[in-house]
Amino acid sequence: MQIKTTRICICRVKEEIMKKVLLVVLILIAAAFLISPQAGAERKKDGRPDGGTLNYGEYGRPATLDPVTSNEMISLRITELVFNGLVGINEKQEIVPELAQRWELSRDGRTYTFLLRKDVLWHSREGEEAKPFTADDVLFTYKIMMHPKTITPLKVRYEFIDTVEKLDEYTVRFTLKRPILNALAKFSFKIIPKHGPANPLFLTREDPFVQHPIGTGPYILRNITADREIILVANDAYFKGRPHLDKFISKPFADQNIMTQALMFNAIDMIVLVNPRDIPEVQGDRRFILQPYNALSYSFFGYNMRNPLLADKRVRQAFTYAVNRQEMLDSFFNGQGTLISGPFAPGSWAYNLEVQPISFDPVKARQLLNEAGFTPGSDGIMQKDGKKLSLVLKVPIEKESEAVKRVVLAFKNYLKNTGVDIQVAFKEWQAWKEDVFLEHDYDIVFASWVFDDSADISSLFHSGEIGYWKNNFISYSNPEVDGLINESKLTLDHEKRRTINRRLHAILAEENPYTFLWTLTNYAAYRDKIRHVAIHPYKFFSFADEWFIGERDQK
Amino acid sequence: MLKERIMNFLFFFLLIVFGSSVPVYAADTPVERAMKLYEKHRYEEATRVLTADASHKHGAADLTLGMIYLQNARLHYKLYRESLAVSQEYLKKLARIRGKGKSRFADLYMGLSLMEAGKHETAVSHLESFSADEKVSAGYRDLAKINLGYCHFRLGDKQKAETLWKSVNSENPELNAERASVYSMAGLQDRNPSVLLDESLAALKKSGKTPSLRMIRNALAIYVKDGRIDKGLALVSHSDMKAYSYKETISRTKIIHFYDPSLIGLLATLYSQASIARLEKALADPGVKDPATYYISEAYALSAYDKNRKQVDFSGTRQLPAKYQDRMRVWQAFEEYRKGRRTEAFAIWNELGRKQPFDPDLNAALLDACVRAETECSQIVKRSETGVASGKGRTMSGLNSALGTYYRVKKKPLKALAFMEAGRDKSNKNKIEYNDPVLLVNLAGMYYQSKKFSEALEIYFEMSKQFPVVRQIQEVMQGVYAMEQKSAGDVKIF
Repeated sequence: MQIKTTRICICRVKEEIMKKVLLVVLILIAAAFLISPQAGAERKKDGRPDGGTLNYGEYGRPATLDPVTSNEMISLRITELVFNGLVGINEKQEIVPELAQRWELSRDGRTYTFLLRKDVLWHSREGEEAKPFTADDVLFTYKIMMHPKTITPLKVRYEFIDTVEKLDEYTVRFTLKRPILNALAKFSFKIIPKHGPANPLFLTREDPFVQHPIGTGPYILRNITADREIILVANDAYFKGRPHLDKFISKPFADQNIMTQALMFNAIDMIVLVNPRDIPEVQGDRRFILQPYNALSYSFFGYNMRNPLLADKRVRQAFTYAVNRQEMLDSFFNGQGTLISGPFAPGSWAYNLEVQPISFDPVKARQLLNEAGFTPGSDGIMQKDGKKLSLVLKVPIEKESEAVKRVVLAFKNYLKNTGVDIQVAFKEWQAWKEDVFLEHDYDIVFASWVFDDSADISSLFHSGEIGYWKNNFISYSNPEVDGLINESKLTLDHEKRRTINRRLHAILAEENPYTFLWTLTNYAAYRDKIRHVAIHPYKFFSFADEWFIGERDQK
Repeated sequence: MLKERIMNFLFFFLLIVFGSSVPVYAADTPVERAMKLYEKHRYEEATRVLTADASHKHGAADLTLGMIYLQNARLHYKLYRESLAVSQEYLKKLARIRGKGKSRFADLYMGLSLMEAGKHETAVSHLESFSADEKVSAGYRDLAKINLGYCHFRLGDKQKAETLWKSVNSENPELNAERASVYSMAGLQDRNPSVLLDESLAALKKSGKTPSLRMIRNALAIYVKDGRIDKGLALVSHSDMKAYSYKETISRTKIIHFYDPSLIGLLATLYSQASIARLEKALADPGVKDPATYYISEAYALSAYDKNRKQVDFSGTRQLPAKYQDRMRVWQAFEEYRKGRRTEAFAIWNELGRKQPFDPDLNAALLDACVRAETECSQIVKRSETGVASGKGRTMSGLNSALGTYYRVKKKPLKALAFMEAGRDKSNKNKIEYNDPVLLVNLAGMYYQSKKFSEALEIYFEMSKQFPVVRQIQEVMQGVYAMEQKSAGDVKIF
C-alpha cells in the first residue's frame, strides 16, 4: 500500500510539475506573441493573389546597393525595394507615413518629431534573428550619412539639419537650422540598420554592407548570381503587408537591343526604360503594355574645367554650336525626344521656356575658337600656345550601346569638322565612374542625369560640390550661380524658387558647362500579366508591393 | 487610323482638285501644300500658306481654309477649357500668399479669370481688393474698376457699374479700349464700342506707343463680337500669342508672369467664325459644295447654337461616301438636340448605331455628340469598348480618344487615362503630326488632374512649337507643379 501510495504521490507531483511547466511555456509564448512583431505579418487585404516572379531588364550592374553611397539609377531602383524612409510620397503627391507612423511639427517649422512604428523588423541575415527597427537606426543613418569620411552625394541635401535626438526607443527629433521648403519630403531618405555596416562610424564602398544590404522594405536581397543577377524575395514580415509578387530578379544587359529581344521572347517580363527605337515594335504587340513615366532626365556632354583648354566658356560654346543635335536625335533615336536648352528637362516646372537651344552653326563654332585664341595647325587641328585641341571623351559602355556609340562618333565627327580632335574611350561602367567621379581623369564625358520633381541642380553646379564622388565632377564654379543656389535653398517661396531657377537656366545655357542635348521619350514596357502597375516617375518601384500576377499567369 | 486618314485626305484632295474650277498644276499648289500641312495638324502654317497666296479666293481654297479653321477652333476650345481650370488653381494658390513678397496682381488676374468663367460674384472681392490697393499704379487700378463695373452690371447693379466706369480716366487709350471691350460684352451697343476701340487704337498709334497685349485682347474681343473676322485674323497674325499680359517684379528674384484668361477662348471663337464664313462661301462653288456641306455640319455643331443660322441644303450630299453621310447625320442630330428636338435626335443616333454598330469613327462621333449633349451614353460606350478591345491599335485611335473623354467627364481618371493612352501614337509621343492635338490636350488634362505634371508639361512643350498660345498653360501649370511637388531633391547619374 505504501509503495502504491508513494507511486501515486510521485505521479501527481510530476503531473503538477508538468502543468506548471506547460503554463510557463504558454505564458512565455503569449508574451513573445504580444511583445514582439509577428514573424509572419499580415497579408494585404486587397483580395489580390500572392505569387509569381518578375524578371526585369536593367542597364548594367549597380556599383553599390545601399541608399547612402549609391548615386546611380540602377541602385536607386533596388534600394526602393529593399528600404523605407520615415515618410513616403504617394501617387497623389501626398506625404504618407512609412517607418514613422506620425509626426509633429513645431510652430516655427524647425522641429520635426517622428513617432516610429513599433512593428517593423529588419531583414534578417542567415543564422540571425530579425532585429527590431528603432530610433537608434534613424540616428545611426543620419550620422553615418553626414560623416566626413562617408562617400555620399546626400550630404548637401541634408545640410539644413542641425541636430538629431533620440527621445526614446521609438521617438526621434530633428531640429533644423532654419525652416525649409518641402522639409517633410526630405525625410523620405532611406534608413539603414545600425547593425548593418561593418564600420559603425562611416560608410565606404569597401564595406560589405553596400554589396549585401539589409533593410525593412518589401523585398529582401537574397543573393547575387555569378551572372550578376540580383534576386530579391518577398518579405513575409513587411509591415505594410506581404507584397504580392514572390520575387524580383534584376537582370543586367549590356546591350539595349538584346534587352528588347529578351522581352519579346519572354526571357524577361519588364524593361524599365525602352529603347526609343524599339517603341513601335513593342507598341504593336498586344502582349505588352507601354507605360509612360516621366523621369525628368536629360543627356549631355560634360566638360572637365580642370583642363585649361575647356575652362574658357567660348570653347565650350563652340562645341555646342558645332554639333547638330537635332540631326543626332532624329537619326539615332527616331526623333523620340526633345532638344533642351539648359539644365532642366522640358517636363520640369523649372524649365525656362524663354531660353531656346543653341542652333547648329559650325561657322560660329570656328569663330568662337578663333576668339579664344585657337588657330588651325598644319594638320587642321586647332591649337593655342603650342597645345593642340585634342581631348579624350569617356563614355560608359553599359548604357544604350548602339545609339550611344553613334552619338559619340557623330560628336567626334562634328568636332573634327571644326578642327577639334576627339579621342573616344569606351569604359566599363564602374571604371568610368571611378575615372569621372574619383580620379577626374577625363576631358569630356557623355552621360545622363535623372531628377526627381524638385529640380534641384545644386549638387551639379555649386562650387561646394566639387570633390571626390560628388556630382559637380566637372569642377564648375561661378559665384553668381553659387549665390542663386544658396538663395534658392534659403527661401520658402515657391515663386521665388521658380524665378531663381529660370535665371540659373539662362546662365547655364549661356555658360555651357555641358552641351545640353535632349530628353528622350520614357516608356516602361511590361507583360500584361503584371497587374495594378503604378510607376513612380523617379524611383520606379515605390508602389511595387501592390503589383500582382493573376494566379493563372503565375509560373 | 493612318490608312484611314490617308484615304480621307486623298478623297477630299481629289474632290477639291477635280471638283473645283481652279486649273491643276503639276507642282504642289497652295491648296495641296495647305492640305498636307492640315493633315499634320499644322494649322497655323497651313493657314499662312493659303492666305499668302493671292489666288486663294476660290472654292477649293475656301473649303480648305474652312477645314483648317474648324480644326483649329476645335483645338482652341479644348485648350481654353484646360487653361481656365489650371490658371484658376494657380491664381488661387498665389492669391492666398499674404505678407511681404505677396503678389498684388494675383487678385486682378484671379478676378478676370473668375469673370471669364461667369463667376461674377466671386470675382468682385478680388477686383475690389486690387482696385483699393494704393501701391498699385492708378492705370491698373482703373482697369480693375472697369471690369468690376462689368461684374456689377452682370449682377444687376447697373448704377454701381456706371459709377465705376465714370470714375476711370478717360484720356488713356488703353483704358478706353478696356471700356470698349466691357461695353461690348455687356451688349451696350449704344455706346459704340467698336468706334471707341478704333479711336483708342488711333490715339495710341499717334502717341507712338505699341498696343499692350491687353489692348490686343480687347480689340480681338470686339472684332469677335462684331463678326469682323478678317480684322481679328490679321490682328492675331501680327501679334505674339505667347507673350505675357503683365510681368510683376516683386523683387530681383521673384518675378511672376500673368496671362490673359480670355485670349484662348477668343481665338477659338474667331476660328469658329472664320471656319463657318469660309465654308458658307465654299457652298456656293458647285465643285466643292458636298464636302463643304459635310464640314459645315461639323462647324455648326461645334460652335455656339445660333437659331438665326443659315439653313443648309443637304440634299446633294448623297454623292459623299456613306460613312461621311453618317457622320454628318450625327452632327445634324446634335443640332436638333440643341433646338430641343431630343426625340428626333435620339432616333437618328440610335438608327445610326444599329446600322453600323462597329464602325469606330462613327462610334467616336456618336460618343462625342452624346458627351456634349450630356446625356445617357451606355449603349454607345458598350459597343465602343467591345470595338477597341478587338480592333487594331491605330484604327481605334479616334474611338479610344472618345472613350477617354467620356470617362474623363464621368470622373473615372484611371479608365480615362487608359483609353487616351491607347489612342496616343507612342512611337511619336506628343508629336502633333501623328496625334490628334485634341487628344493630346485631353491627355495633358488627365495627367494634370492625376498630378503627373511632368507628363502634361511634356505634351504642352511639344505643342508650343506649333501653337505658341499654349505658353500660358505651360507657365501656370509649372506654377502649380512647383507648389504641389513633394520631392526630396534627388538626382542620379544614368
